[in-house]
Amino acid sequence: MRLTQGQFSFLPDLTDGEITRQVQYALDQGWAVAVEFTDDPHPRNSYWTMWGNPMFDLRDAKGVMMEIDACRAAHPDQYVKVLAFDSSHGFETVRMSYLINRPAEEPGFELLRSEGPGRRIGYTVRSYATGRPSGERYGGETRHGT
Amino acid sequence: MSEAADLLDPEARDRPPDNQLIDLDALYRESGICGMLAGMDRELVGLTPVKTRIREIAALLLVERARRSIGFKAEPPSLHMCFTGNPGTGKTSVARRMAGLLHGLGYIRRDHVVGVTRDDLVGQYIGHTAPKTKEVLKRAMGGVLFIDEAYYLYRPENERDYGQEAIEILLQVMEDNRDDLVVILAGYRDRMEVFFRSNPGMASRIAHHVDFPDYEADELLEIARLMTADMQYRLEPEAERAMADYILRRMAQPRFANARSIRNALDRARLRQANRLFEARGSAIGATDLLTIAEEDIRRSRVFTQ
Amino acid sequence: MNYVSTTLTPDQKAGNAVVSDPKARYRPGVLKYRQMGYWEPDYEPKDTDVLAVFRITPQDGVDPEEAAAAVAGESSTATWTVVWTDRLTDCERYRAKAYRVDPVPGTPGQYFAYIAYELDLFEEGSIANLTASIIGNVFGFKPLRGLRLEDMRIPVAYLKTFQGPATGIVVERERLNNFGRPLLGATMKPKLGLSGRNYGRVVYEALKGGLDFTKDDENINSQPFMHWRDRFLYCMEGVNRAIAETGEVKGTYLNVTAATMEDMYERAEFAKELGSVVIMIDLVIGYTAIQSMAKWARRNDMILHLHRAGHSTYTRQKSHGVSFRVIAKWMRMAGVDHIHAGTVVGKLEGDPNVIRGIYDTCRETHVAQNFQHGIFFDQPWAGLKRVMPVASGGIHAGQMHQLLAYLGEDVVLQFGGGTIGHPDGIQAGATANRVALEVMVKARNEGRDIWNEGPEILRDAARWCAPLRAALDTWKDVTFDYASTDSVDYVPTPTTAM
Repeated sequence: MRLTQGQFSFLPDLTDGEITRQVQYALDQGWAVAVEFTDDPHPRNSYWTMWGNPMFDLRDAKGVMMEIDACRAAHPDQYVKVLAFDSSHGFETVRMSYLINRPAEEPGFELLRSEGPGRRIGYTVRSYATGRPSGERYGGETRHGT
Repeated sequence: MSEAADLLDPEARDRPPDNQLIDLDALYRESGICGMLAGMDRELVGLTPVKTRIREIAALLLVERARRSIGFKAEPPSLHMCFTGNPGTGKTSVARRMAGLLHGLGYIRRDHVVGVTRDDLVGQYIGHTAPKTKEVLKRAMGGVLFIDEAYYLYRPENERDYGQEAIEILLQVMEDNRDDLVVILAGYRDRMEVFFRSNPGMASRIAHHVDFPDYEADELLEIARLMTADMQYRLEPEAERAMADYILRRMAQPRFANARSIRNALDRARLRQANRLFEARGSAIGATDLLTIAEEDIRRSRVFTQ
Repeated sequence: MNYVSTTLTPDQKAGNAVVSDPKARYRPGVLKYRQMGYWEPDYEPKDTDVLAVFRITPQDGVDPEEAAAAVAGESSTATWTVVWTDRLTDCERYRAKAYRVDPVPGTPGQYFAYIAYELDLFEEGSIANLTASIIGNVFGFKPLRGLRLEDMRIPVAYLKTFQGPATGIVVERERLNNFGRPLLGATMKPKLGLSGRNYGRVVYEALKGGLDFTKDDENINSQPFMHWRDRFLYCMEGVNRAIAETGEVKGTYLNVTAATMEDMYERAEFAKELGSVVIMIDLVIGYTAIQSMAKWARRNDMILHLHRAGHSTYTRQKSHGVSFRVIAKWMRMAGVDHIHAGTVVGKLEGDPNVIRGIYDTCRETHVAQNFQHGIFFDQPWAGLKRVMPVASGGIHAGQMHQLLAYLGEDVVLQFGGGTIGHPDGIQAGATANRVALEVMVKARNEGRDIWNEGPEILRDAARWCAPLRAALDTWKDVTFDYASTDSVDYVPTPTTAM
């Protein structure tokens, strides 16, 4: 399974040069760029762990790339994404979001059905990986230590 | 070198042919540094040795770029600099122009200067310094980081001073990110020399030293004229003579800070002018009165009574 | 028109002056509308006035000011004859005022008539009441050969009485966890005839292949071949399976359009129970029903999709009807979250400048007057949420660069045939669209000139993406290059600028 959240998940994984250009685009729009990571990629998990605060007042993508490198080095087996925040009126929300790191193995999600009266079915989506405690998912974190 | 020799010398084979023509002048014009250098000559009073140094550095970087453009081996040159001189000798202003030059020549991606002092880099407690320094570095990336009074980063009297941590991080970035960041250290010359003696790592990474001399009295008067014009004021002829006197007296006093002292003197003269006009508000005044700094606005300075 | 006038001055007899003497003004009989005070060239519109601009085509012999005054009169207080009961009211206040008439550039015999309406003429928060006046009887008025409502300025004071979009673009994106690119959808085809089980299959394949949304067509309600409960149940099975297989939030616009409000509420409640993020209604259910469903959607955290079924009967011809930019404005006030708003490049009507004006009306927080885009007035939106326009009808992956350049980022690109008609199947069709979209957004952000380099960018991606290659080969020559019937009248320079 390949998690396809974000703007560019149907493309080959972005190179550092490509990530730099996307980050620069965000900075040029005046947006603050943030890095977040998680081992719970449920589609409705809105709050991934923040790798520091969103970076305000940067002009060059290199500053963000330093944090991206650091985050990926610290969490090589987790999902890492880059976000851009727009503070302008009418938006005041995320304007970009794309994955820049993913675990080697992605077990995906289980679809649980609970049957009710009148053929109603209640659906629950559950990540196979979250069966294990955070830090022990995707095999990697134990290898790399925490 | 003959072709036969080329074949024998492995290095020469990778080299571009010696007879390729380079239009250095075209490179010069494209980079836009011509206008910047002219602007520097026009807008900055005096500073002849500084201007000469900047011109030399610009020439070096231009030729370096020409070499790169035809494929000569070109390690990213070390561009970190040190500007030494007394306060008010134009270090910050030249740093901004240097950023413009480096940007025009394609050595930095953005022409911004992020100016900081020790307080912006060094924290108050354990674990505070690294994030602070990194925050500054992230903001400066792509352009110029200007560290004023850089020697305050190093405090030998306190072994556990966090400044050392900031220096270590800076050194690492100055080495690893030559394409991303140019660091300019600034401060008094003697203190900077002491700093470099104790921090040989830092000294070895600084490629260009530029020394800013103090201004001469006539240069300071010219600066005063430019500043007044810039603020949309005018020195009447007697006021200008008073200013010349003021400069000679002020230079002899302690804590003289070159152009900065002139700026302060003019600010105080404006204050006195305003008060003078306010006290005389009974009678009508013209636009000329609002423009003009009178002799008394200068002469009532404490400098003349001390 | 025959006018009876006995005690009037020569100028008043000629019909050019207001009759202000009450005795003459309210003498039983018929006066010209301008004599009754509906033409006021010196009037300065108030900030609280509702403003409208109509394109009028007067019958031969009817002068444009009188025609404009007639429109003002018939859409506000007047009737064909003088009535003394006017004098029981503050009628000066309630009378709409035609205050400006401009000839339509390049079209002899047509005029733009500007009319101001007092705010108290309208019930708060009611599109039905607003439209009953503005597009009521007046559209059948004989002295006019044609009448078209071109644009309106709704005052902030009146806007604030409307709920506005139930969800809005920002909240919709946050709920869907989908940022920085247009959303992708597809309308299920064939429009009619699929059984519930087969229908759900199409939903599942399309969403699994990379779409964010699938959509019922406007005339899918509850027919003999597929009753609505069946459709909802099978669709939600498809939606949830696709979510589990991709890790993305997805949805399908379940059309709750039905014969009565009771039926619509029942269907909407069932969609909610099944966990759908979005429901859909058709424009033909009427303004009041739309406002009711918008309130329901706000209460129930549901995105409300509006299909504009029926609009072309009155929006398309320039001489008579209502411009779609006005419908879009009313729908933002009424409270829908999605509205079909044109594609420029697809099979349905859409001049680039007109479409730009409509998209701005949906998406901007303040729309500035822009005659080239058909926007006659400044329109501040007073905090009403922004509507997501939907581009649908005859578009395909090969046009991705044009779609992104024309329509921008906050839009749902809806490829029905362009997904389901893919030679390698529905999933491949969806993937082709998703790859084309992502590669184009990426290139745009990198600063590439997608308008010119678009085809090359798509060809490059097609080298590693077989579904995209097949899509480009299949639809490479499909364009719908016909002149628009609804175009703008000011400065008709062809432009592709966005």
